[in-house]
Amino acid sequence: MTTSSIAVTGLIAGGAVLGALLGLVAYVTLLERKFAARMQSRIGPYRVGPHGLLQPIADGVKLLLKEDIIPTDADKRIFTLAPLVFVVPCLMIFATIPFAPGLGVADLNIGVLFFMAVSSMEIVGLFMAGWSSNNKYALISAMRAVNQIISYDLPFIMAALVPVLLTGSLKLSEIAHAQEGLWFIFYPVLGQLGFIAFIVASVAAENRVPFDILEAESELVAGFRVEYSGMKFAIIQLGEYAHVLGTSFLGSLLFLGAWAGPGPWWLGPGWFLLKALLIFLLITWVRWSFIRIRVDQILQISWKLLLPLTVLLVMATAVTVVMRSGTGE
Amino acid sequence: MNRIQAKGFFAETAQLVGAVVRAMRITFITFFRKPVTVHYPDKPRAYPDRYRGLLALVYEPDTGEEACIGCRLCEFVCPPAVIKVEMQKGEKRNYAKTFTLELYACEFCELCVQVCPTDAIVMMKSFDMATADRREMLLDKDRLHAIGQQFPVSWATGNKLRDMQAPPKKAPGEKHGGGEA
Amino acid sequence: MSADTAIPVVRTLDYTGAERLTMNMGPQHPSAHGVFRAILTLEGEKVVAVDAVIGYLHRCHEKLAETLTYAQYPSIASKTDYVAAMTSELAYVMAAEEIAKIEVPKRAEYLRVLVAELQRIASHCLWLGTWCMDMGGALGGGATIFLYCIRERELVLDLFESLTGARLLYGFHQVGGVRYDVPEGWMEQCRQTIDLIDKRIDEYQEMLEGNAFFLMRTQGVGVISKELALDVGVCGPLLRGSGVAFDLRRVAPYSSYQDFDFRVPVETAGDCFARYRVRMAEFRESIKIVRQIIAGLPEGPISSRPGLKSVAQVRVPKGEAYTRVEGARGEVGCYLIGDGTAKPYRMKWRGASFSNLAVLPHIIPGHAVADVVAIMGSVDPVFGEVDR
Repeated sequence: MTTSSIAVTGLIAGGAVLGALLGLVAYVTLLERKFAARMQSRIGPYRVGPHGLLQPIADGVKLLLKEDIIPTDADKRIFTLAPLVFVVPCLMIFATIPFAPGLGVADLNIGVLFFMAVSSMEIVGLFMAGWSSNNKYALISAMRAVNQIISYDLPFIMAALVPVLLTGSLKLSEIAHAQEGLWFIFYPVLGQLGFIAFIVASVAAENRVPFDILEAESELVAGFRVEYSGMKFAIIQLGEYAHVLGTSFLGSLLFLGAWAGPGPWWLGPGWFLLKALLIFLLITWVRWSFIRIRVDQILQISWKLLLPLTVLLVMATAVTVVMRSGTGE
Repeated sequence: MNRIQAKGFFAETAQLVGAVVRAMRITFITFFRKPVTVHYPDKPRAYPDRYRGLLALVYEPDTGEEACIGCRLCEFVCPPAVIKVEMQKGEKRNYAKTFTLELYACEFCELCVQVCPTDAIVMMKSFDMATADRREMLLDKDRLHAIGQQFPVSWATGNKLRDMQAPPKKAPGEKHGGGEA
Repeated sequence: MSADTAIPVVRTLDYTGAERLTMNMGPQHPSAHGVFRAILTLEGEKVVAVDAVIGYLHRCHEKLAETLTYAQYPSIASKTDYVAAMTSELAYVMAAEEIAKIEVPKRAEYLRVLVAELQRIASHCLWLGTWCMDMGGALGGGATIFLYCIRERELVLDLFESLTGARLLYGFHQVGGVRYDVPEGWMEQCRQTIDLIDKRIDEYQEMLEGNAFFLMRTQGVGVISKELALDVGVCGPLLRGSGVAFDLRRVAPYSSYQDFDFRVPVETAGDCFARYRVRMAEFRESIKIVRQIIAGLPEGPISSRPGLKSVAQVRVPKGEAYTRVEGARGEVGCYLIGDGTAKPYRMKWRGASFSNLAVLPHIIPGHAVADVVAIMGSVDPVFGEVDR
């Protein structure tokens, strides 16, 4: 294949994934709202469109029409750049995810590593947003964010290493293929513990309740996003939900067998989406059931509990793999 | 519910896991309960009999005349003083020449209803009056009568309230406690 | 807390000295519980000093009472503690009754106790919901508990709506008794509501009490020692959470509380969790009292004075009285000076939240910013009472 045809296919694939992703992110917000509402004895959005189905479009139009406010003493260039620096890594993580065997934008050899590295780039955007807002609340929130996300990226990576070790490769499609016999979540002890550690670490790394101290609406009133309005705010929201979705997709690929499911091969992406949404709903269920904990308690959990546990888990997985290959399957 | 923090790593973890599972169970079972949302205004809401809604003036049920005699008792009792009445004398009975009620300042305390000797001013079993202009909530006599025809009337009228509150008649010679009526 | 009376100037980022930052929390703030301004001085995440500024909701109640008669003011009295309106009105009418030596019939007294306890349940529902929402976020687990609590509070408010016609500000009390009697079927509805709330409180306790997150946020946070509580003069659940067994319904029973069998919950730890335990136990005790009243409400008139016919109907002779009731937040007191006319000469409210807020500058320093909302929620101020 010539360079230009690779570039063209890449562009088309990337564009398709991006388009589908933006639509999916919009409707996933509606799904979360209706799901959360039912858990609270109420109905979610109902009047905009039948059963609220046009609500994300209405929200999008509303945000487009809002005035774009930049505070007087804010650093204008960084203030404007920050949402972009935040959202681009959140969207890029979808580049390495294969949605079906052979169907993906770029199935890199170092898929998992790329995902982890890129998803931790968003913190730069976050800090830029908090710093340039010239607002004490935003600044406190940004500082908490740096603390928290860095602390939780480590257990996140360690938990994701468990399926990598069990497969022996960082390539995402290979990890998915290796689960054709048994999904990694069903792997005795290691699979379940790895999945739980993955979920906990990802909830914290995405600033979801119970670890969302950096947004803490009741204390810091939206944290680092407080000065943003209109389309910039929409972009930041988009990035956050895209990140949650991306981690859900990664989780369902690493632990739930990706596209494995009954039926013909072309149903694979459908099963993949279903499993990703299931993990998303699990994270949402956790979000709407717990109050948040303080930032020092969050950091204690990360450094004193989650990181040692996940390191031990990785070592145990490594030992299991060596023993398994030593004695044969 | 054991609120004592368990000691020791495994006990603490077990307690944490138990607490997480219990909390998520409650949200889970609420998921399957019927939502408490009432689709107002598509579905009407059942107002109780004594509901204190909009204020209105009514007509006498037997003669069809205006019940208000312009005595101004409601004007004097109103705490935020939103009622203004002018009396017009007639041969057999008096009327109210003008009767204005500033609904935007009304507290809906029902004291005017309580003191009315002829059950003329009453409250409705509805509060449906949303306007974009506050001046539309300055109700004059015609609007008050119109509201009286528009909605169901609450049970509580002046005489009924006073009958509910009145102690049984005491024998002559016994005094009530305290001040005079 | 500041030595001078000038309003402190809030500066922007100020890194003089030991890296201290002055941050303004409120008066417009999602968790200010009303309009409350707290000027926090922070060192990193730790609060070093608190300056409480109140007065944003001052509506001149005390002066207003001098211009309104004893017949008019009770419906205004509900607007001080608007979350627990029944207990606010009760203090005022009891003061007038004490000066004028007016007897209140037994049925009216029992009805007063009934609505006061139902109001306590409703008020504590709101407290629990807003406190968890402050700690958990408006979009998150806190909101879930908030909506559950509001769902239960709505049931109690429906009861009040059937009884008086209003949901929040009732005008239920009058000098000499109460204004409304229970309608048909109300007692049965009350019984069913109470049984349902009893079960739902079990659910809340399950969601919160074993929960390590909740315990982490509330245990050891905002400790009020017994000496501090007595020194500063806090009241209500704050006092009982610090080990002082003082409940006006026991110590100075009013309105026939002595006829009922209930326990006064006391905890000794003095932290937010202890106050939470006290209020949850108060739920149960209020339910117990309501059940006793449902079982036996005496017949009789609901007021010892004829129904209100004119504005100056109630005259109170010269004299003064201070009555106090145990509101949901503590001791609500009304000091009244009557002068023989239909309007009082002077009326003063003792707001429970006003005294409770005085403890904040003593207990907040040393905690993180996140604990400020937990402590404020456990103090449960309502600013109608504070600013009047």
